[in-house]
Amino acid sequence: MNDHHNNVPLQLECTLYFEKNPYAYETIEGLALRLGREPSDLSPIVQHLVSLDIIEALGEGDSAIYHYNQPKIASEVDLSWEQV
Amino acid sequence: MKNLVGTGVNGLDTTLYGGVPKGNTIIVEGNPGTGKTILGMQFLYFGAVQYNEPGLYITFEEFPDQIYQDMYSFGWDIRKLEQENKLRVITLTPQVLMEQIKNPDGLFQRLIEEIGCQRIVIDSISLFHFYYNSKEEQRKTIYALRNALRKYSLTSFLIKEYTEMDQEQVSFVNYLVDGVVQLKLDHHFENYRKRTLEVTKMRGSNIQEGEHLFKITEQGIYLLPALSMVEDETITSLDVVPTGIHKLDRLLGGGIYDGSSFIIDTNSKSNYRFLLASILANRMKAGENVVVLLSSLNTIDDLNGTLKLFDVDLEQFVEDEKAIFIEHYNRPVPEKFKNATINVVGLDDDKYKQLLTEKVGPSIKNGIEKGGKWFVYYDLNTIVSQRGSAFLKRYFAEEVANMSALGISILSLCNFKELGQETSSFIERTSNGVIRTWVDGIYQYMQITKTPNGHNSEPFVVENINEKPFIRLV
Repeated sequence: MNDHHNNVPLQLECTLYFEKNPYAYETIEGLALRLGREPSDLSPIVQHLVSLDIIEALGEGDSAIYHYNQPKIASEVDLSWEQV
Repeated sequence: MKNLVGTGVNGLDTTLYGGVPKGNTIIVEGNPGTGKTILGMQFLYFGAVQYNEPGLYITFEEFPDQIYQDMYSFGWDIRKLEQENKLRVITLTPQVLMEQIKNPDGLFQRLIEEIGCQRIVIDSISLFHFYYNSKEEQRKTIYALRNALRKYSLTSFLIKEYTEMDQEQVSFVNYLVDGVVQLKLDHHFENYRKRTLEVTKMRGSNIQEGEHLFKITEQGIYLLPALSMVEDETITSLDVVPTGIHKLDRLLGGGIYDGSSFIIDTNSKSNYRFLLASILANRMKAGENVVVLLSSLNTIDDLNGTLKLFDVDLEQFVEDEKAIFIEHYNRPVPEKFKNATINVVGLDDDKYKQLLTEKVGPSIKNGIEKGGKWFVYYDLNTIVSQRGSAFLKRYFAEEVANMSALGISILSLCNFKELGQETSSFIERTSNGVIRTWVDGIYQYMQITKTPNGHNSEPFVVENINEKPFIRLV
């Protein structure tokens, strides 16, 4: 159940959270609180998103902080929220 | 004095005489819904847009995308500022923040350096209570936070929610910080609510004390400094002569404008001698000619003596034909002042007006034609006691209108209580400014209750001092 391959909706939820809040800096515990999920469910998903370069990890272990790895193209596109 | 930085709320800057001292750590506290987040974001938004000071908004609970949407309703495009590296809305937990603050080359330092951050808002420090159990730990943490903010010279707003405990005692946090701003939402009349802001502490800056009303408008917070009234648009002159009393001049926008009519409303116990003399002396030093209507308590000798304390030589003014006195009483007049004194004892109203028109009118006209200015001082209590309040009402409105048209400034002394409500209201309406002074118990007070620029004052205590102008407003 914890395998990220079986949990695409949660993967999407995490990706959307970081994309909508590009300056969120979260530990697994913090992210679990924001999304109302279990840290144990989130951990493999977050590791998978790190491996895909969607989010970046600062530090290691329980105290690692994750944040959105903004696509380079973002600076050339107007992403102001009202036009999204 | 530290540099002041604009808060983005003009009215708040006015109450702080320019803004908050740069680098200060300020608590913004209030109950839910009082406008703390808006004030915090307005401080950052205008910091970035108007003052080129990039800022960080750190939120522990709210999602940034919600803040982007909320602030867009005020026309503030936060995401655009993020793309321009002028603002960041960061979300993390208090623990992560503190770990990263303590970590050399940690996330906090990186974020500060990345945008050249100069302002920061932390929403809210009340959350520290949940992450740090003991009071000692909380105090240490807040202390470390404050020191870090100072280390980076950040001007900081720390948002704090009121707790029941805060309403009973002052929180330790308020002692640690440089400033405290309180926001309130109170009942107003029967069915309304009013929002108020009060600055209760601000190191390195003066404060206009009191609760100031504010509204949350389509452009954010709009604050009206207390005691602001509608500006009197009929005063168009830019020439102003100081009263010589520092605080009074600051409140009046420099002093008394040419062509304006001011009232000193005094009760029987209060001493107005130095206030009156300071105003008169400053007008005379500015080169103005004067007309003085003497009262029963004020002889030419008294006036001469008081003006000498202000380095004004009244005899010289008389010699230069720059002073005229109107005398309602049979009293001896010093030889040197005789030619300048118009005696109106026993004259009926028509003859009184006729005499003044014949004797004072040409002098004023001549003076004005030569480019001179005139200042007229009336004791209205004397006019009422000698000629009645009906005459005063008829005569005063006419005089003010005529003199104002000629650019002549008027100062009148009266006692509103003695004049009665109807006459007082009339006199007040006719005048551009009212300075009240009264004795209440063991102190004398002074308050500006009407000014042409609309800035009224709180009541000040009048303190006697040993040097000019011999009084100070405290």
